[in-house]
Amino acid sequence: MSQSDMALMAHLLRRAGFGARRDELERYLAQGYEATVEELLHPEQAPAALDDEDLIRRYHVDENSLMLIDSCQTYWLYRMINTRRPLEEKMALFWHGVFATGYTKLNHPKQILGQIAMFRRYGLGSFHTLLVEVSKDPAMIFWLDNKDSHKEAINENYGRELLELFSMGVGNYTENDVRQCSRAFTGWTIRDASLHTARVARDSVWPYGRLDWQFEYRDDDHDAAEKAFLGHAGPFNGVEIIDIICRQPATARFIARHLYNFFVADEPQVPAWQTVPPHDPEAIQTLMDAFIAHEYDIRAVMRVLFNADFFKNAQFAKVKSPAEMVVGTARLAGGHHFPDVDDITLALETGYMGQQLLDPPSVEGWHTGSEWINSATLMSRVNFASRQLADVNKPGVRAIIQRVRAQGTRLAPGSVVDICLDVMGPLTVEARTRQQLVDHLAAAGDVDFETNGDSVSAAERIRELLQLVVATREYQLA
Amino acid sequence: MATLTHDLYRYSHTIGFYAQNGRGFNNPVDVALGRDGVLYVLNRAGSDVELRMLYKRVTMCTLDEDYLGEFSSGGTEDGQLMWPATITIDAEGNVYISDEALHRISIFDAQGRFLGKWGVRGSGVGMFDRPAGLVFDQDQHLLVVDGLNNRIQRYTKDGRFLGEWGKGGHGPGELNLPWGIAVDRAGAVYVADWRNDRIQKFDAQGGFLASYGISGRGDGEFSRPSGVVVDGEGNIYVADWGNERVQVLSPDGGFLATYRGESGLSKWGESYFIANQDELEERRKANLEPELSLSPLDELREESASIEKFFWGPISVKVDDQGRLYVVESCRHRIQVYRKAPGSA
Repeated sequence: MSQSDMALMAHLLRRAGFGARRDELERYLAQGYEATVEELLHPEQAPAALDDEDLIRRYHVDENSLMLIDSCQTYWLYRMINTRRPLEEKMALFWHGVFATGYTKLNHPKQILGQIAMFRRYGLGSFHTLLVEVSKDPAMIFWLDNKDSHKEAINENYGRELLELFSMGVGNYTENDVRQCSRAFTGWTIRDASLHTARVARDSVWPYGRLDWQFEYRDDDHDAAEKAFLGHAGPFNGVEIIDIICRQPATARFIARHLYNFFVADEPQVPAWQTVPPHDPEAIQTLMDAFIAHEYDIRAVMRVLFNADFFKNAQFAKVKSPAEMVVGTARLAGGHHFPDVDDITLALETGYMGQQLLDPPSVEGWHTGSEWINSATLMSRVNFASRQLADVNKPGVRAIIQRVRAQGTRLAPGSVVDICLDVMGPLTVEARTRQQLVDHLAAAGDVDFETNGDSVSAAERIRELLQLVVATREYQLA
Repeated sequence: MATLTHDLYRYSHTIGFYAQNGRGFNNPVDVALGRDGVLYVLNRAGSDVELRMLYKRVTMCTLDEDYLGEFSSGGTEDGQLMWPATITIDAEGNVYISDEALHRISIFDAQGRFLGKWGVRGSGVGMFDRPAGLVFDQDQHLLVVDGLNNRIQRYTKDGRFLGEWGKGGHGPGELNLPWGIAVDRAGAVYVADWRNDRIQKFDAQGGFLASYGISGRGDGEFSRPSGVVVDGEGNIYVADWGNERVQVLSPDGGFLATYRGESGLSKWGESYFIANQDELEERRKANLEPELSLSPLDELREESASIEKFFWGPISVKVDDQGRLYVVESCRHRIQVYRKAPGSA
């Protein structure tokens, strides 16, 4: 097992999950890279995502009713931290960014959480199936006004975004295609839309909390007449429109660029895609080919992606999103395994860093990469990570200290820095940064676990070093 | 879905309404039946952000929904609550509340004035790790379900430790994250053995007597039972929390009845709609009991989230000496009240 093997496995788990502790990485390394990719690609073969989800609902009573957005955010973050199906949860986060649906308009966070659950079920399957499910998703129907699109009065919001932001991208269809697409989705609505619209309008949670919504297909409100869409003609319904969309090379390209931007390396944002070519056109072509060859099967595309050299060579080529920062650091530090009062801080901190889960800023989702970073969000990121590692009794912190101690009872500052950087990633920092870390540690001499009963002091010094490491530029990268 | 197997109880009315403070409840987790018909409703009220600390409180009201006032709030100071779990009342009318975040028991008088507290986190004598169910035994000693320590502790009213029983496990007499607790007229103790999906019966000294139920959805089976109470005839009522229902067992543990919930509008709810006629009109036009197509994995919970009359988060059950059954629903911010059916035992 080489250092580069460990680094590559850590890279895979940062991208296909939310990072892995050293003991987890060692297990993955023992089975090998490709076998690990296969394990990640098949969450349905893994144990249930959580050991006992009822625990959350028992202790966080608000995460049983899921009436408030921060309760729903905390529930999801808890899942991300503790899931035994890391890629399933990461795909849900990915699709949440693509099919961005926001609380601000819906006033019903549990319903968006229901959409996230749908992403878990279908996120690694056929993109065709996923688009059908998205089109039937009550939160999406409300979000993009398809409940207001009728046979005799078309609302084009969903039809437009299906083409512009969910499949093909601007420049690959006409205004008439938008209209025909919208006609095909008339009748795709939610049951008792009028009641739910009235409740949402006043954010009514009365008398007894929220009521879930259900998809309803109303044949009597569906425009079944002939339509001309992307060169095809017929009395299309929504599913047939999705058939045509999936066959478009533009769809393969659009999804390939999204997957590359989320899982491989930061790219220009979606609005620029019409004019700015991808950084790595060959990689995009590879993903497009897989999408088409495997009939839109996302699992097959992800298999190609994770096994490609362009992925393996893209270590630390992305800025961590706030969710990745919060969940990855919480996993590194340990804790948040059993429901506790301070779990809510996870949701608050993710928001402070610029990512209100379940409430993206627009239908376009979040702008990612360097746009995550500004002076305020950087401060939030560093402070959060530093606080997470501030306790030597946290299991993750304790494990790192034990790994340092296993290398000797008296260690030079340079060795301690290198061991910590290794266990925390492995993380490679600039030589200047490493030297600053060494200098800081060296101010109090070697790290001595035994002399003069100094082990407490040694642990505290290592804890302080870890807090400095998470403040480095390199720790901001995935 | 059938809501009743035996005609033991009939739905009477609902008390409740979602409210951040004042008249109404916020994630209620328990109710205590006080003197002079006063109900003390314990509101746990997440999420745990500063903004919502005032939502955590005890609401005082009557069976007929007269609002009488409230006391306490969220926080860590004396007299405050963070994760209040259960509430009970002693013979003098004083109110005892367990707190799973602060690992202590707080005492208030009948008007809500703070009287005292005891308990710190730990597993030693006089310590708690997420104390949950509370009940007074026949000697007016307080039994405390010490959740994560998987034991029952007994105290005097002022917090002097008297004894304990129980340990973690799934064998007879062993416990796994126990929650609710009750005492019958003969002094026997019943514990909702939450993670073992059963009710266990002990003698007054903690000796194991019986175990009722196994994991499942069938009659007499449980999924994470949270609350238990025993009426004067010895019938056992269980808040079958994970199955979103209430079950009634005979004194020997035999299955008698199951209830899924049938709430109508409370008085407080009706007054809301007087001021919001347009929303009421939409409700009248809507189908509030639609046919649903749900995954078997979570169908009961999702059904409860969609159909308002069903129990959602039935967390605690209580009975009074007038033959009424009270079911507290944490997710619907209300209490459904049932009355013994005419002619039932």
